Amino acid sequence: MPVSAPPARLRTFALQTFRNVTTAELTLPSEGIVVVGDNGQGKSNLVEAIGYLRLLRSGRGARDRDCIQHGAAAFHLSASLEGVTATRVTAAVDRQGRKKVTLDGREPERLTEALDALPSVTFSPRDVDLVAGGPQERRRYLDITLALTSPRYLQALRHYRAALSRRNAALREAARTGGSTTDLAAVAAWEPALAQHGATLITERQAWVRSRSAEFVARCAAIGETATTGLRYAGTFAEDASAESLLEALQRQRALDVRRGLTQTGPHRDDLALTLDGHDLRVVGSAGQQRTAAIVLRLLEAATHQGATGVMPLLLLDDPFAELDRGRTERILALLDGIGDGQHLVCVPRADEIPTRFTRLARWTVRAGAFAPAA
Amino acid sequence: MSAIDELITELSRLPTIGRKSAMRLTYHLLRQPAAQSRKLAEALVALVERVRPCDTCFNLTEAAQCAICVDARRDRQVICVVEEASDIASIERTGEYRGVYHVLGGRLAPLDGIGPSHLTIVPLVSRVMQAGAREVIVATNPTLEGDATALYLSEQLRASGATVSRLARGLPMGGDLEYADGGTIVQALAARRAI
Repeated sequence: MPVSAPPARLRTFALQTFRNVTTAELTLPSEGIVVVGDNGQGKSNLVEAIGYLRLLRSGRGARDRDCIQHGAAAFHLSASLEGVTATRVTAAVDRQGRKKVTLDGREPERLTEALDALPSVTFSPRDVDLVAGGPQERRRYLDITLALTSPRYLQALRHYRAALSRRNAALREAARTGGSTTDLAAVAAWEPALAQHGATLITERQAWVRSRSAEFVARCAAIGETATTGLRYAGTFAEDASAESLLEALQRQRALDVRRGLTQTGPHRDDLALTLDGHDLRVVGSAGQQRTAAIVLRLLEAATHQGATGVMPLLLLDDPFAELDRGRTERILALLDGIGDGQHLVCVPRADEIPTRFTRLARWTVRAGAFAPAA
Repeated sequence: MSAIDELITELSRLPTIGRKSAMRLTYHLLRQPAAQSRKLAEALVALVERVRPCDTCFNLTEAAQCAICVDARRDRQVICVVEEASDIASIERTGEYRGVYHVLGGRLAPLDGIGPSHLTIVPLVSRVMQAGAREVIVATNPTLEGDATALYLSEQLRASGATVSRLARGLPMGGDLEYADGGTIVQALAARRAI
């Protein structure tokens, strides 16, 4: 693993008609920038736009067309980069839903080839949903973290989702027609693919949890968590995640699944269990404890990327320390430094809220979607 | 609608033909001798009036049975199952296959509302039983849906006693490893053979 590889760095970033930003072009020094602006002026939109070049969709889960400015026909993003394969990356989406991505001027044959073109990890106050929200938030976290660092995981995830939607459609058809033998066999036809790819997903998720759980505990403690935290994979197949065991469960559940019209077992129902002194962090954790755990999950996301690819992702800090005390904030920032000297984009509402170690970064201001270097 | 507009509209319904190409074709048909265009029209009429599915294998034919099904030199104990009639031409071009065919008319695609009853699966099963076929080669496409269809067929044919096989998959002949996608290489590794 090339630990010493240079981090991903964003040199210039241009946006056109992306949400409230009509047009903007930013230049970024190696260490990064601080963007100062009141809430609702466009800080999070900038973070979302940069993050778009990682997942090729909104990291906030917004639909593509909702990212296009009102009255505009399309949005365009363009980045010049260092420390990654393609040094010029663009993305554009129009109202008809057409998406065009280019890497060094060339359109990749498949969109998945352009995934992670601009590696980044976003820290935002919304991350508390990772801990306090439903299991789907944590599955999404695992899927993104692993799919961008393991081609095997990405492939298994694509096949798993495709097979799952087809088995569910076959289940609904079987429910509609009364579940004849023919219908049940048409449901069963998707099960080996589900079992095979589902087993890969569970095995890789478990391996990730095993390799990162000690780090999770240690980093929560380093930030100031005095209770013992825990990170564990929770699912029906935690004990035996073989394709055979999944296949057998799918067969056993088939009749029940027909009645519900849904596949009720598999990695799409699993969870990443976070605990505090053995209890569910979702239930017993204070707001501050949940924020801490969410930030540590983001740290692990960055560390996983660096571990797998050698490249430290760009760290997008979208006012993540709001409402956290100064001591906690400083300890989090020290941890950030500890995982590598990545480039930072720090967004804060007021200049006096810039953490000390970022006060030397170049400053930009944003007002009503217009970005300008601070005087 | 004028005759010109009508033809442009109809032509632009065809795959790979946009409105511009449809216009160009229409004006070309007007410019060429009328007899030539009439021949095209007659060929189209003949196509829809004479071509029909083979009673046995659902291949396209102008008789009750297709040329392959009536060919006495063909081995009726081996049946190759394909998604579409056009797939037969690809296999026939090799000249290597001496068995007969069965056209499914698609593949299991529940998201498009295509279930087993929309395919010619029941006729296939009774055909295999009646002929006492010794092998059924499933040549559906190597996609998620093609694979599920193959699996479904193998279940339906279990009682027939016929061996059900699936076309091998892996690297294409004359292909370059550098240009093969990850999924293909994984399959080729799994299905590697001693030399």
